[in-house]
Amino acid sequence: MAERVGIVAVAQTKYSPNRADANEGELVYEAVKQVLQETGLKFAQDGTGIDATVTCSQDFWDGRTISSCNVMSYVGHHHSDEDKVAEDSLNAVYTAFARILSGHQDVVLVATHCKESQGDKRGIENAAMDPIFLRVLGLDFLSAAALQARRYMYKYGITPYQCARVVVKNRGNAKRNPFAQEPLDLTVEDVLGSQVLASPIRRLDAKPTSDGACAMILATERKAKKLCQKPIWIEGVSNCYETHYLGDRDLAECDALVKAAKKAYKMADITDARKQVNVAEISEEYSYQELLWMEGLGLCGRGEAGKIIDSGMTQLGGQLPVNPSGGMLSGNPTVVAGMTRIAEGVLQLRGEAGERQVTGAKRALAHGFTGVCGQLQGVMILGKA
Amino acid sequence: MTTEKKAEKKPEYIKVEIARPRAYKWSSGKYLGKLYKEALENRKLVTNRCPKCKQLLWPPAGVCGRCNVEAGEDWVVMSGEGTVLQYTYLVFPLWDPHYGDRLANPYPTATIKLDDGVFLVHFLEEKDPEKLKNVKRVQAVWKEEGRGRGLGDILYFRTIDE
Repeated sequence: MAERVGIVAVAQTKYSPNRADANEGELVYEAVKQVLQETGLKFAQDGTGIDATVTCSQDFWDGRTISSCNVMSYVGHHHSDEDKVAEDSLNAVYTAFARILSGHQDVVLVATHCKESQGDKRGIENAAMDPIFLRVLGLDFLSAAALQARRYMYKYGITPYQCARVVVKNRGNAKRNPFAQEPLDLTVEDVLGSQVLASPIRRLDAKPTSDGACAMILATERKAKKLCQKPIWIEGVSNCYETHYLGDRDLAECDALVKAAKKAYKMADITDARKQVNVAEISEEYSYQELLWMEGLGLCGRGEAGKIIDSGMTQLGGQLPVNPSGGMLSGNPTVVAGMTRIAEGVLQLRGEAGERQVTGAKRALAHGFTGVCGQLQGVMILGKA
Repeated sequence: MTTEKKAEKKPEYIKVEIARPRAYKWSSGKYLGKLYKEALENRKLVTNRCPKCKQLLWPPAGVCGRCNVEAGEDWVVMSGEGTVLQYTYLVFPLWDPHYGDRLANPYPTATIKLDDGVFLVHFLEEKDPEKLKNVKRVQAVWKEEGRGRGLGDILYFRTIDE
């Protein structure tokens, strides 16, 4: 049987609405520098250090093709083995995991960046649509998400109050997270009184523009145990694609997420996620998504997420805290979000999550997605045992 | 028996044009930002030196990609003079993609090794194909207008007689 793969170091920048002071390379290096210092590792091609680097960034957000070129010298790409993953960075960690399982590489650096402040968000998201069939409709992820929110809320009886409670919880949790961009003391009334962006989504139902980076180092079990005191193991990982055309989907459902979760749980020997996962970090660009994705992940039954948020079960101190970091809603860039979720899961399992620590967390779930209405869904299960 | 050929009718293929460019506001960052500032304000080409290999980085950056060490603030003002290594003579028009200016046509583009050691791709002033063959030593000529574009603040490299 192959060795397990461990995460030996994680680092995040503080997330910010506009890092005009730093270009992509300088931004990602803020996180990379920390994991290099923490492990004492150097880039090497002889088996004595970091064997390869996997980066995650998106060409359209960076405004160039081969966006990894923006960060090359900062992530050890010079005459080295490099790989770039686009979409959500959870998939970059998946790629690094697979590289190590191949048996040819022992230690892999993963680094991701995104500066949402530099691009035209609506234009870039519109460019994710089929260029000559769907783009003419002007859809972006917000307008598509609004269709999904409406459909999900109608089909399963989820209320705007319940969606607003997600925002109140996550923005409140962010007060305990030093990396969070915009912690806020909010009431449900504040959220429901904020400006409508695309009904039923209001300004506070959406995440703010965000710049930031995240880095981590993965290693074989043998090396992980030498490199750090508390390696966190990747017990299961999977991803799954929805069809692209929205008309092919019932937007109240998230079949790709259901399948991705099922495969990741099987790999991690999880038979009942509700009991076996202690903390979940779920990527939510819009408030309804935390509820819908919770259902897709099987953390509650279909249509039950509204009642769950009402019950307080997903708050810090609840039975299953969701997004103790504050989630994407508190400010976290697309692309980077999946790795932020993993990094937060690692901190929780190491017992290093500070004021947002979930007591006694043994197993964490990290979720990442990308694309229109959660087209690509990724799930990772982390364990400390 | 007649072998009458019907005129072949070509199918019509519809092409869809989407021409609007997307807007970006890139941060030049701490290091490339200094190159922009010095070019704009002082008409100088600057870069920083790696403390380990002692070579100049190009473009300036926070980490030396060769050594994987932080490069720091050992800044060097370069002479702006160098030697042409190879050139090509472009006869088709190119556009500056950021600003929409049409670049002069025809114009020679060359790899120039600056005396300080860095390699630079830029334009040559000399447009005579015969004279181009003998161009060796060149010097940067700075633009008077349309500045604030980094390397674009240099108009072209002029032949120096030596």
